[in-house]
Amino acid sequence: MSAEPALPSSVETYLRTFFLQRTRPLLLSFGPDWTLRDVQGDASLFGIDIDAADGGTRELQDLFIGLPLNGDHDLPFVELSSGRSAHIHLIADGAGFHLLLLDAEDSRSRQRMQQQLGNEAVLAGHEKNKAISRLREIRSELERQRATLEEANALKNALIATLSHEFRTPLTSIFGYLHLLDRRGGDGRHALQALTAIRRNATYLFTLAENLLEYGRGESGALLCAVAVDLRALGHDIEEMIRPLAEDKGLEFSVRVDADDAAPAWFDEVRLRQIVINLLSNAVRYTTRGEIGATLTWRDGRLHVEVRDTGIGISPEFQASVFKPFNRGGQSGSKGAGLGLSIVRRLVEQMHGTMTLDSQAGSGTRFVIDLPPLEPVAAVAPSRGNAALWVNDREVLVVDDDPDIAQLLEALLLDLGFRVRIVTNAAAAIAEAQRLPPDVLLIDVEMPGLSGNAAVYQLRSHGYRGRIVTLSATSTVEARDASLRAGADHYLTKPLNVEQFVSVMQRVTQPQ
Amino acid sequence: MNAPAFKVCMLGDFGVGKTSLVARFVRSTFAPKYLTTIGVKVDSKELSSPRGTLIKLVVWDIAGRSALDALGANYLRGASALLLVADGTREHSLSVALNLLMQSRSALPDAVVALAVNKLDLVERWEVAPTTLAELRRTLPVFETSALSGDGVENAFAEIAARLQP
Repeated sequence: MSAEPALPSSVETYLRTFFLQRTRPLLLSFGPDWTLRDVQGDASLFGIDIDAADGGTRELQDLFIGLPLNGDHDLPFVELSSGRSAHIHLIADGAGFHLLLLDAEDSRSRQRMQQQLGNEAVLAGHEKNKAISRLREIRSELERQRATLEEANALKNALIATLSHEFRTPLTSIFGYLHLLDRRGGDGRHALQALTAIRRNATYLFTLAENLLEYGRGESGALLCAVAVDLRALGHDIEEMIRPLAEDKGLEFSVRVDADDAAPAWFDEVRLRQIVINLLSNAVRYTTRGEIGATLTWRDGRLHVEVRDTGIGISPEFQASVFKPFNRGGQSGSKGAGLGLSIVRRLVEQMHGTMTLDSQAGSGTRFVIDLPPLEPVAAVAPSRGNAALWVNDREVLVVDDDPDIAQLLEALLLDLGFRVRIVTNAAAAIAEAQRLPPDVLLIDVEMPGLSGNAAVYQLRSHGYRGRIVTLSATSTVEARDASLRAGADHYLTKPLNVEQFVSVMQRVTQPQ
Repeated sequence: MNAPAFKVCMLGDFGVGKTSLVARFVRSTFAPKYLTTIGVKVDSKELSSPRGTLIKLVVWDIAGRSALDALGANYLRGASALLLVADGTREHSLSVALNLLMQSRSALPDAVVALAVNKLDLVERWEVAPTTLAELRRTLPVFETSALSGDGVENAFAEIAARLQP
């Protein structure tokens, strides 16, 4: 085994000079308890004031908290309070120790430059990926919206084209028969025929107008209003309305009501009537001989509606398209705006019911609808009289920095029967909601300081399980999504749409 | 009499805001430009405990890295507490912080630990779900922080100080 070969003395001298020039060492020698005994080198280079009361070593002492001073330690790249970087070595020496500081400023600068570029590239890459992903979402959303707009435009054109015909035809008939009545007087067979025709056309106009109003409400429809429906009276009304139309075409017609269940049938009567009338109107329209009929059966807490006819029927290939607005597919030569079945389906879905169609071309049609009853109390549209029952003593914590908005929300909520607490900033909202969790938190997003979304996030991350509704002046999809991601259940925009507000407050106070 | 001093190490991925949190805590400042830390920078601040006693936190702002190498492990020696830092807008940084905790646990089994999820001012862009933090809260104190606005920063360090109180 050979000893390490000695370097030539000239090389050793060069290395020593090189090392000292590069590292500019400072050696601080300490006795026990950090008593400074000796200093070799330029302490000011490292920002250390040897003349200070503690020898300027307080900062150095902090570096070795928790470490034994009787062993060696090596701390590379320590940024001192002067901003200079040093490699700091603690070298034990008997009862005392030495601190050796080697200048690392140049190497830190080089390393930082490289590291900075690498880190920034990674961070930028992350942001870029997120931006690309977001752009894809936006493109997809735009394509979806374009398709929706194109569809809406096509529907609008179909609506105008259809209505110009559908309104004019019965009105022409009504005015024509009124003219006849005017000229011939109100007696005799002709008068009876005229009145029947007027009634038929007026009924058609009524149905058409009702359907247009329903269609105009959009997919979400209006709030359902549950009442205890007298099914027999409803059946009688419908029969009175449709019978003249059926008899005018020589059709057998019947409406049967089997109300076996003694419990009240809670339904939205207007919508229920609309469903049955639409189906019967279609049946009359597309049946030239035979019979049409409807049966309403209230049994075991379900309402079963059946409407059947012996009309022209619907071929299987057209059975899906007849539920689309302005589509009268398959029923060639048919009349009507093509709204009836689409509205029936929408209403049935809104009531959480099911609907089936059984038909063959030329052999009649049978629609079967199964509806669960509505909740008697929760589904009641709010009004002063029943509001307290509706919200069942729920409490809302309103958070808005604008006192006018806060007061408006308070007034609306009190009117709905809620108890209300108000705070004016997000930090107070967190504290208040944690102190006494409300049933609903109604919070503005844009507030000075901590944002409403930040408060929502923090409450959710602390386990708050109540319902949260955020309110914002920003009506973009991104803003809504950000709020929902933070933990909100609903996102409302300003200016406040009171009907929508009431609807949301209704939803959030229903059992989850 | 000097306040008892405790070493607190900041651990987390690069760019999560460790240096900014220390600057906010110690000097109440915020620099918007990102400047990567090389090695370590040590600062200190004295806090009053709820009982009125003073405690000194010596905060080690350690360069962000995804794993504790030999150099990083050197910095941890003698630490009484770890403040893990993640960036709410980068979910991956939360995994990095928790990995760093696991790696440092063998060297510091008794250290007090808290988690700061930073950049609360950008909460609209957060990838970390609130339910994730709700789960983590079962095992360690978690603070949503913003070095920019200062929200949550003092609370995070105060929690560490309270747990270090002799």
